[in-house]
Amino acid sequence: MRRALAWTAVVVTALLLQSTAFAQVKLLGAKPELMYLVTVLLAMMEGPSSGAIGGFSAGMAQDFLLNQPKGITALTLTLVGYVVGMARQYIVTPSPLLPVLLVAGATFGGVLFYGFVAFLLGQLSGVGFLLRTALLASVYNAALTPILYPALRRVTEASRARKVFRW
Amino acid sequence: MATYRRARSTRMLVIALVVASLMTITLDFRAGNRGPLAAVGRGALTIIAPLQEAVAGIFRPIGSFFSTLANLGNLRAENTALRARVAGAQQEQSRFADLKREFEELQRLLDLKQRFDLPTRGATVIAEGVSNFEWTVTIDRGSSDGVTLDMPVIAADGLVGRVVKVSRSDSVVMLITDPDSRVGVKLASSGERGLLLGARGEELRLDLINPDTKVLPAEPVLTSGYQGSLFPPGIPIGQVARADTADVELTRPVFVRPFVDFSRLNYVLLVLPHPDVGELGR
Repeated sequence: MRRALAWTAVVVTALLLQSTAFAQVKLLGAKPELMYLVTVLLAMMEGPSSGAIGGFSAGMAQDFLLNQPKGITALTLTLVGYVVGMARQYIVTPSPLLPVLLVAGATFGGVLFYGFVAFLLGQLSGVGFLLRTALLASVYNAALTPILYPALRRVTEASRARKVFRW
Repeated sequence: MATYRRARSTRMLVIALVVASLMTITLDFRAGNRGPLAAVGRGALTIIAPLQEAVAGIFRPIGSFFSTLANLGNLRAENTALRARVAGAQQEQSRFADLKREFEELQRLLDLKQRFDLPTRGATVIAEGVSNFEWTVTIDRGSSDGVTLDMPVIAADGLVGRVVKVSRSDSVVMLITDPDSRVGVKLASSGERGLLLGARGEELRLDLINPDTKVLPAEPVLTSGYQGSLFPPGIPIGQVARADTADVELTRPVFVRPFVDFSRLNYVLLVLPHPDVGELGR
């Protein structure tokens, strides 16, 4: 419960920053995709089922602020959270670069998937623009990871229940 | 066995969430701007907009305060005080420049309002759209201020867009640079009509009805405002940046650079329905 509340606060903060502060600090015209970043980090730390639930919720939160058909971001982030959570279980490297690489790869793939679904619904055109945005957003997200990863790890650890449950 | 069961339940969970997402997409896609999910979207705007306003306030440059120093006894203290005053003066100066810019922007808005004699209501931009694939801004006026769906929005330099989402005290404006934006326009010199399409935040694309029209370089483009149009006639939008030669397509694409700098949008005017003409909307 405490963890869910903590992650809700993280999602709301990220949405606010994305539309205010980061709207003014763009990388060649692109904003970071903070919902993707939060989902990937959550999936890395909490596993595939939390990753999927977190991704779904974060995606829905973003979708309801958009004008496009709601649910596309939720669909994308559910899969991103699940895939990253699964992949994390099979990677054993202690490299500190791992979160950065996972965030970059998952953001790039996720934004492309989002663009593909939006394209199927007739919402998006221009492959060049999609590739460019996916690339810039993933670079931006990767650059933010070294700052956000330790902060979010502290959030999970501080909000972890005293007793350890398994389910 | 336990791990297997857990993996299976995770898979079921993911499938359930994917199905839920797909259902949401389908429902919202069919219902469009007036369905029950759109109402939830308006609710989300009601919650998030005041927070955005607060956060935007923090990130806007604000002059810091320099308290007067009590002790001016020795030279060192005086030196410090003078330094503080210089810093304060610099702060003041940059604030003054900021205020001057704001004043000029508002002055130009007022000019535009007087030039077109449109009933309008001023609004402040509080945030940008969340997504990289949508070109919107959130403004601090909503249904309680008389804002309705599809209401045109203009800035000092020209057309900004139209309202696509309204909550009680805030609303979302789709910019003319959004790929979903469509504006009926005319060329200033020839009066030739066409449709101006948003092109992912870059130059706008103008599809002329008559592809043989002679397009002059840097020719201004205005809203055409014919019967049933959302936008009042004669609002400046931008100028022709370049025109491609006619190809196999029936229309010849002309590219238009908007007058409004959408990255630095602070104050806008909502164009209210004209009392004489009645509803401007569809």
